[in-house]
Amino acid sequence: MILVPVTYRGGIYRHSEIMDLIEDIGGYIVQKHVIAQEVVLLCFVPQDDIEILRRMAKPLGGEVTDSPLVGTEIAIVIPSLEIHHLPHPACDIAEYVRRLGAKSNMVGLARGVGKRIAALNDEERDVINEHDIAVYVLGNFEKCIEHKMPILRRGIDVPIVLCGAPTKEALQRIVDPPVDGYVGNVGRFMHRTKESDELTKLDEIISEITRVLEKKRVEIAKDPLSVAPARLMDLINENVPKIHEVTSPTPLTVQMSGLRVKLPYDTFAGDIRKIEIEDNITIGNVAQVTPSRMRDYILLKILPFSETNVVV
Amino acid sequence: MQAVEYFEVECPEPLGAEYYKQIANDVLLDHNLIRTIQKLHIYVDPGVPIFVAVGILKKVSSMVRVQDFAAVNPLEGKIMLVLANETYLAPMLKIFWTRFGQEHVEQADRFTVILRGVAIGAKEVEDIVIADPSESMYKDLIYAFKCIAPEGFRIRRERYAKDKFFFVSSEDTLTGDVDALLRSKFEMMGETMP
Repeated sequence: MILVPVTYRGGIYRHSEIMDLIEDIGGYIVQKHVIAQEVVLLCFVPQDDIEILRRMAKPLGGEVTDSPLVGTEIAIVIPSLEIHHLPHPACDIAEYVRRLGAKSNMVGLARGVGKRIAALNDEERDVINEHDIAVYVLGNFEKCIEHKMPILRRGIDVPIVLCGAPTKEALQRIVDPPVDGYVGNVGRFMHRTKESDELTKLDEIISEITRVLEKKRVEIAKDPLSVAPARLMDLINENVPKIHEVTSPTPLTVQMSGLRVKLPYDTFAGDIRKIEIEDNITIGNVAQVTPSRMRDYILLKILPFSETNVVV
Repeated sequence: MQAVEYFEVECPEPLGAEYYKQIANDVLLDHNLIRTIQKLHIYVDPGVPIFVAVGILKKVSSMVRVQDFAAVNPLEGKIMLVLANETYLAPMLKIFWTRFGQEHVEQADRFTVILRGVAIGAKEVEDIVIADPSESMYKDLIYAFKCIAPEGFRIRRERYAKDKFFFVSSEDTLTGDVDALLRSKFEMMGETMP
């Protein structure tokens, strides 16, 4: 069964019927937002059953759209959390990817500023590596990007999309070895992205992220995961009641090949490992349950079929 | 930056110059400094690396007086001030308390102040100087250029003399060559270094 990420937008009236339908057809709701009279459901739905969902949504005035970023966690990496890079453009990009269903985290480097002095520490490297993709939002000068990019990407093994003021061609020329995606003409600026050409640039960033993630999805499909991350999310929701007391907007953050559980590792990791998925197969059998470098959270990395010989 | 007589950004990378022109424009507008600058030349060289801003300021002669932000209405035995905004409320009250005594100054609400039994007329109240914007301009200007300059350029030198100023920053130690650079940038604007 292939699950595809979609967004349902509709009125609050009878939206529970849509939620029931998604669960009945074997889908998973990753996030639910109720904004005034509107409901937004970010979910995974079996590919063959999307039409059923669309048919059901129509009389309710709902809309089902493809959202390739649902179920991904994206790191927006910026040289620092100073006024030079915040709130524009880093926040604008982070917010834009959120609107399309991704969970974005801003990673402001402690010493990422300048040219010669730029550095990346081990904690930052590990935090970035816990994401599905890293979007580097750098500055306005080719020389700086050329000089500091090899330092800022050292040890990063997730795909990187590089944004900077030089043109895409210039970025491709100066970054060696190449990164996975480039978006030119998005450097440091001090105003909100509201002009149409700026919004077009944000769309360009999204399409570049989508392209790179699609490539990663194809890679994962070659050796499929032993269990879908959204299924693990559901299981933890059912079996660990404490997760409902977490005040974070996404207590369980679904990633492409894993899950971030926002509960303390020492207290809950053992319980999570023991949760049975089916036929005596536990989460510990099909996923690595490790401490995250982000606070004291738990990170689940789902093992591929080639390592476990099971798909549940 | 139409209000500025001369505004140039010089950089070995033309695209970088374009972006920095936009950044300088945005920051100076946000900080309300555009109308105080007459000429501005920015030079950024990421190769060195160095950021230089030299400029000439306009004469800011206008002191902020009571009449600039409040309507003064003389009534029987009192003068009522109706404020258009609260920006200068605190310094104004401070000046009134010192000059007339707290018992003669009554603040009815956020936008109304009443002076009772004071010995001066409404016209004189209108002319009382409340603030001198040029006092904080140097601080504001340096803060603005710290925002404009590339991040991480923490070694700084700045000077403000009469109507001229310069701001230099880098991530490396500033050498003696900087003076020659500053002189040349002032010359480009047809001015001499302070």
